[in-house]
Amino acid sequence: MLTAMNKLINKKHYNYFLVLAVIVGLAVYPYAGATSYMLHLFILFFIWAVVAVYWNLLLGYYGIFSLGNVAFMAIGGYTSAILSITYDIPPMITILLGGIAACLLVTLFLGLPALRLSGIYIALLSLVFALTIPSVLTLTRDFSGGGVGLHSIPGFLPGLERFQNYYFCMVFFLFAMFIKHRIIHSKAGLAFVALRDSEDFASTLGVNRYYEKLKVFAISSFMTGIAGGFYVHSQGDITPSLLGIEPFLLGVAMIELGGVGTFLGPVIGSAAIVFGNEFLRLAGTLRLAILGGLICFVILFYPGGLMQFFSQLGDYYNKIINYFRK
Amino acid sequence: MESFVNAIVSGLISGSLYAVMALGLTIIYGISRVFNFGHGVVALIGAYIAWAILQNLVFSTATYIVGIVVSMVFLSGFGYLLYLLTIGPLLRKPGWEISTVLFMLGLGIMLENIILQIFGPRIKSLPIFVSDHFRLFGVRVNWHDLVILVLVILIVIALNYFFKATKTGQAMRAVSQSVEGANVVGININWIFGLTFGLAFAVTGFSGVMLGTKYYLDPHIGWDWMVIGFVIVCFGGLGSVSGAILAALILGIIEALSIVYFGSVWVWPIWFVIFVIILLVRPQGILGGRS
Repeated sequence: MLTAMNKLINKKHYNYFLVLAVIVGLAVYPYAGATSYMLHLFILFFIWAVVAVYWNLLLGYYGIFSLGNVAFMAIGGYTSAILSITYDIPPMITILLGGIAACLLVTLFLGLPALRLSGIYIALLSLVFALTIPSVLTLTRDFSGGGVGLHSIPGFLPGLERFQNYYFCMVFFLFAMFIKHRIIHSKAGLAFVALRDSEDFASTLGVNRYYEKLKVFAISSFMTGIAGGFYVHSQGDITPSLLGIEPFLLGVAMIELGGVGTFLGPVIGSAAIVFGNEFLRLAGTLRLAILGGLICFVILFYPGGLMQFFSQLGDYYNKIINYFRK
Repeated sequence: MESFVNAIVSGLISGSLYAVMALGLTIIYGISRVFNFGHGVVALIGAYIAWAILQNLVFSTATYIVGIVVSMVFLSGFGYLLYLLTIGPLLRKPGWEISTVLFMLGLGIMLENIILQIFGPRIKSLPIFVSDHFRLFGVRVNWHDLVILVLVILIVIALNYFFKATKTGQAMRAVSQSVEGANVVGININWIFGLTFGLAFAVTGFSGVMLGTKYYLDPHIGWDWMVIGFVIVCFGGLGSVSGAILAALILGIIEALSIVYFGSVWVWPIWFVIFVIILLVRPQGILGGRS
């Protein structure tokens, strides 16, 4: 019995247990006396974690310097909201259509030009792309709401409360994490990392850089667009302020704080930012200054983010254990 | 026809303002290859310092010059220290291209909100230099705009002289051509990069004052200025000074014409299309900087 237990608690199984414990914990949480406010924060966390994770797929894994991922989210969200309001299509379908719309637009306007560009040019292009969307919304204000935005957007299914929305978003979050995990451990994920580290070398080994670049843009924008759909239908409204400086800053802070190029980093970072942001509301208008300062601090002194902090903690833990074993 | 000529004139004037604003960006990129995402806020700091000095002193031409000089001196010191303490160490680490951009972004947002804290959200504007106007071939021209145009031309000539004729300027051009080569002939790279940041920040502060007199100041407008600067430097070729000036004039005229004929909502979509076309057809810009 003991040996069987020991076998189960080796490193690999330990990870499975941890994941299972987190899933069960998340699933049980609404029954364990969660307030409506905490559920709201968790829904935001699920959605932002997906955005941050797929932003990190571009930024940390492939090294494509995209600054427009919040715009991908807005495209998905707006498409889904407009379709479900104007044409009465069930939101579960429009969310998917929003993801496809984001995927098509981004691949066309960013992915294809990005084939010829590198580094800072992609950053500028994606930034200008994101800044163009508010003008487009103003031009199409008849059905997109313009500067006022769209309100009273239908929920996932008729008659759902926040309690059920929580589960919808949780399932989406877990599904997105699973897909991300599959991607980075597949041939495509390896190709992304290889292209990041040395584009010439990877091409020599037979990685098609054009194909892979389009693929990473398509995947990232599709998932981020779907996250935008979930955002819209769980919150019930969307305004162009989503394209402002604050959500963008939050996204960057999530990735930087959690750790660029790590699997769990953006998830931890988005948890820290979503929940920490609520405490920072006490600081009033200084909140954004504190967030900006935090980004600067992390980049200067702690470039690995929270993941580096945790791995250092793990090292200390092992040192202490070894010390006592001797 | 008259509206067309008017649009051309106002386009040229706003274009020259954009040109001097894009100069700081293109100088820093051309020499150190750092892309300054805190550019707009630096311009804003310059404008706000000049505004604060003018508020506290008796208004006259002399105090205006004092305000501009003080903000330029302050910003050049700030740029030099910023390079020495933060950007320099970041440049020596791998992945500096992304980390410097994100760092400047975070710094910009921090400074923007500190400005908001100090000066409040109310819109402010710097007093114009000369209030009168005259007519030239039936087109109304403000003396103020003419003064701005002269000042911009003067600063461009001064910068050109600095880069062509002085030892430090030549050293900067050498560094922009090859860092290793410049190092071999005994140029102190760290010192030159620090000076570059100081110089570029001072020029940016000056452009902030000019923009503040022509338009208005609020703590968030820096981002708009910065993005205009981004489009201009890409259009003209990253790192190319003459390209940036030409691009700024062209884009200023395009902006003025599209406001007259389509409405101001169309400015951004048109710029995006131009931007995409430029990046696709000629990524090195119209006059060819670094691709």
